[in-house]
Amino acid sequence: MATARVQPEVEADLIERVRCGEHEAFYELVRPHERGIYMAALSILNNDADAEEVVQEAILKAFKAIGKFRGEAKFSTWIFQITINEARMKLRKDRRHLYDSLDESRRGEDEGDYIPRDFADWREIPSEALESTRLREALKKALDSLAPKYRQVLVLRDIEHLNIAETAKLMGITEATVKTRLLRARLMMRDALAPGFDGAWRKGREYEKVRPF
Amino acid sequence: MAKKPIVEIDCIEVWRQISNYLDNEVDPDLRAVMASHFKDCAHCSAILDGTRNVVRLVGDGRSFEIPAGVSRRLYAKLDDHLATRRPKKRNS
Repeated sequence: MATARVQPEVEADLIERVRCGEHEAFYELVRPHERGIYMAALSILNNDADAEEVVQEAILKAFKAIGKFRGEAKFSTWIFQITINEARMKLRKDRRHLYDSLDESRRGEDEGDYIPRDFADWREIPSEALESTRLREALKKALDSLAPKYRQVLVLRDIEHLNIAETAKLMGITEATVKTRLLRARLMMRDALAPGFDGAWRKGREYEKVRPF
Repeated sequence: MAKKPIVEIDCIEVWRQISNYLDNEVDPDLRAVMASHFKDCAHCSAILDGTRNVVRLVGDGRSFEIPAGVSRRLYAKLDDHLATRRPKKRNS
């Protein structure tokens, strides 16, 4: 089920209620964002157990800090930021950042153009095919195959529908970098999924492959 | 009447801009040039169609789920935390 977006005024009311001691309102605040922050944590940590641990810590931190939330940013951006910070702290604590490309200041974006691998004549995958576990598994596998920095931007932009400015702020990168990473992420996802599409998702279709020049 | 100059764009440049094109983040002139390119280039059309399709699929709320139990344990943790606190009333 798609995450229902809560109206800002409803959210503001919930936040005030939490501050006034109606703690149960906090559940309603968090619920629309639980999948998103889990996906964001997972995109950084690439481990279900770690992502779960981080989300729990982030939610508790958000609850304790709700009095400090002034509403300059959207609640979703705020809770995503807390979660992403927790995930990064966990990486650093586990020293995994030494092996990850998360610390972007040490690496440039200059990896050259991404050349698509597959030019097969595309056949539309209907959204109804998402009812099939097989497609959802293929999507997850494709997402997991991306390098962290590409996975993160795809999660925030295309899965959680944050805008470019929000994504840039959360990831601590420029908007231009968001766009170049998103391009790569999308093209890689397409390539990762292409071999399965023709014939796999629609019956009676020969798989047509066209090799690039 | 002055002829409009024919502007060509190569496939590599199209691929560089294809994500921005899908997001309506290219200026109108570039958009027109790319649209014209897609009409004539089967490779780039395939890339465009596939990328658009993938973006739509990953953006569908059904594609990715929070694993069973994660949500439940999250709220259980919150329950535990709240149980140790007394609701405070703020003086307005």
